[in-house]
Amino acid sequence: METKEIKNDLLGERYYKIDHTSGLKIYVFPKENYSSTYAVFGTRYGSIDTAFRKSGEEKYTEVPEGIAHFLEHKLFESEELDAFERFAKTGASANAYTSFDKTCYLFSCSGNFNQNLEILLDFVRHPYFTQKTVEKEQGIIGQEIRMYRDVPDWRVLFNLLCAMYKNHPVRIDIAGTEASIAEISADLLYKCYDDFYNLGNMALAIAGNVNVEEVIEIADRLLTEDEPFSVDRKVFEEEKEVVTDYVEEKLSVASPIFSLGFKEMLSNPERTLKEELLGNIILEAIAGNTSDLYSELIDAELINPTFSTEYFTGFGYSSMIFSGESCDPKKTSEIIKDKIRCFKETGIGSEDFERARKKLYGREIMSYNDVDELANNLIAADFMNEGLFDEFETLKILTCDEANEFLKEILDERYSSLSVILPA
Amino acid sequence: MIENVVKTEIANGVRACFVKAEHFKTNVMSVHIVLPLESDMEANALLCYMLRRRCAKYPTMTALNRRLAELYGASLACGVSKTGDSQDICFRIVSVSDRFALSDEGISKNCTELLLDVLFEPKLENGNFAEEDIELEKRLLIEKIDSEFSEKRIYAKDRLVEEMFKGENYGKGRFGCRDEIRNVTNERLLAAWKAYLENAVIQFTFVGESDDGITEQLKERFSEIDRTEVCTIETRFEPVAKETQKIDEKQAVKQGKLVMGLRTGLESRDENFFPTRVAVDMFGGGPYSRLFMNVREKMSLCYYCSAQFVKDKGFILVQSGIEDENEKKATDAILEELQNMKDGKFTSEDVEKSKKGLTDAFLSVGDTPESIDAWVGTRVLDEEIILPQDYAEKINEVTADEIKTAAEKITLDTIYMLSGDGTGEEE
Repeated sequence: METKEIKNDLLGERYYKIDHTSGLKIYVFPKENYSSTYAVFGTRYGSIDTAFRKSGEEKYTEVPEGIAHFLEHKLFESEELDAFERFAKTGASANAYTSFDKTCYLFSCSGNFNQNLEILLDFVRHPYFTQKTVEKEQGIIGQEIRMYRDVPDWRVLFNLLCAMYKNHPVRIDIAGTEASIAEISADLLYKCYDDFYNLGNMALAIAGNVNVEEVIEIADRLLTEDEPFSVDRKVFEEEKEVVTDYVEEKLSVASPIFSLGFKEMLSNPERTLKEELLGNIILEAIAGNTSDLYSELIDAELINPTFSTEYFTGFGYSSMIFSGESCDPKKTSEIIKDKIRCFKETGIGSEDFERARKKLYGREIMSYNDVDELANNLIAADFMNEGLFDEFETLKILTCDEANEFLKEILDERYSSLSVILPA
Repeated sequence: MIENVVKTEIANGVRACFVKAEHFKTNVMSVHIVLPLESDMEANALLCYMLRRRCAKYPTMTALNRRLAELYGASLACGVSKTGDSQDICFRIVSVSDRFALSDEGISKNCTELLLDVLFEPKLENGNFAEEDIELEKRLLIEKIDSEFSEKRIYAKDRLVEEMFKGENYGKGRFGCRDEIRNVTNERLLAAWKAYLENAVIQFTFVGESDDGITEQLKERFSEIDRTEVCTIETRFEPVAKETQKIDEKQAVKQGKLVMGLRTGLESRDENFFPTRVAVDMFGGGPYSRLFMNVREKMSLCYYCSAQFVKDKGFILVQSGIEDENEKKATDAILEELQNMKDGKFTSEDVEKSKKGLTDAFLSVGDTPESIDAWVGTRVLDEEIILPQDYAEKINEVTADEIKTAAEKITLDTIYMLSGDGTGEEE
């Protein structure tokens, strides 16, 4: 077992990375003068993992959409007291979330840290599923899925993803569909659990009022070594072209909502950190609230402050998305495309670049206040094989030329789709 | 942990609260401007966004936003909320600490100045706001209100409040009446600006390394303002529901939204507050609460079912998303859990869970500058600002008998149900 201290003098921060004998990577980020502690135990397993194979296996196993999220719900249950009830006795606030590419279990507390960490490590390591409890959960998750079907921001995004992606499971709601979750059984849950909840595929991150020794002591006591193996994510073949350049749905909304996405081809399954940061700077420079485009669209009565951009990237997918409310989504989308064309011709000016970079730099520093953000970022960095400080360090050395070089490759309007929600 | 809040009187009805915190990487400064609901709510709300848009020194929206970006991505947000029978206008600026500046720039001092510029030096032409700004901000505000129609969870909650408090100003939305926003004039905006500065109860909250002459800066700004007529804010409490009213509405939705409004028996903000706080948490707070354990986990009726105590107006909101046909089942189950609370059918272990959950959360309030600012800033109307650890102690003193007594006083006032009109179904 190895414990490494990782420091950043400019930020005045340090954390510890432990390669635990059990195969688990553990990160501990002590914060002085903090009362609370936040812990996340996560696995590299999310909604896009609908087809996978264990090292040594030849064929991919295919599972129903939404099963990672279903598993997240079910893991809280046990034969005796469920995890929520155990945390209720200590006062910790516990939760979990499933995203496209990971599932995380977490708690925050200002007392009884050791006991809480024991509960977290214990319940995630002890699955208990029966056909009866699976059926009960189908009712609860069915309502969760239906709730999201009325949420316009959610619908506009997934309609866009379906318009852009033909095969990649990123196009499916994280919770799956009512039909897909009906196919989930206790046996399937055990299969997914066994393949993805291997300590070698997981990470634990703790930030706040905590010290390394207490974490190691508990990990030593509770974690037994898992037989090491790896799981391959299936790389879904995607064409350059989008499925359709326009999609709309009617919902009970007051005014139209749009999402304009630009699909990108990837030479590697994932964007590098540098590419992601350059992408974010480009979006800020082109369409952030300091840009000419933003003020022109506001003055033309085409957008309001709900307008935002996102660099939407993950394993096997990457796209830039512009969204917001607009009385005329098509016109808005044309103006955005015109502006992008101009930027592609002239490039981003150094002043715009610096302003965008400075804003990201400030926001990056601010993220070091929150213990929940720190722990979640540590997990995310680990799953990308990066260090937590890499983002901060990379931001400092990016250049405007690099941004303009990257801009040439992306935001190609030939591969864009517009998704619109219209009032019913 | 928040050790201390240093309060300084700046002018009549204006105070500054400083919380020293050296271990954060950011500073937060906020101002809460509080006016009674009888005042010109629409103009007050519109003005807040007008001021945020631009000011004399940064005369366009882009210039102001670029200034913030230069200040290392400082964020300046404004918002309007309803606290009891008052309208609370808030501006908040968050910035990185000076020690991270790449050159010697004094970020926090510049941010304080910017906030004060926005408040005291609006962009006026011949003493008036620009008409195009007024029209633009009216559009944005109306769109903001309309977008709440699109979020059915929020919409259903707002409708419940509207129906439960019909005839009272509290029944209005926090921005006032949507259609009245169109009628706001330059004169009304100027009067609202005067009311902000001269009549409102005002609190500046600052969380950071040092107060660095801020109180002096504030005193100087207010020295030229006539603060002789400060408004008084009183909130009407209706302790008991008369009879239960039922409101039904249909829209093109896929999931029904059930909201219930209950009265707590409280006649003011202070009386019997803590037992009610614990009772509501046991009823529908965390995942250990009766509503979560029974209506969601046992009966599998919904994804969420929770109760929230609106302390400033002394009532409880219960919210759930359900299938339309399960309305009666869910309503009965929720009311049965309430009855169990009234009958004292809970164990000392149940009481402990709520107390532990609540106190554990309060003890972490001191861990981010934003949560400290929120704690102190929302207590603008309190003479003394209770610290989270003292609040936690009061929670711990509550007894099972007091919880039962508090629960017994809860009465059902309004049930609101939003259900599908049949057009939302597809496939």
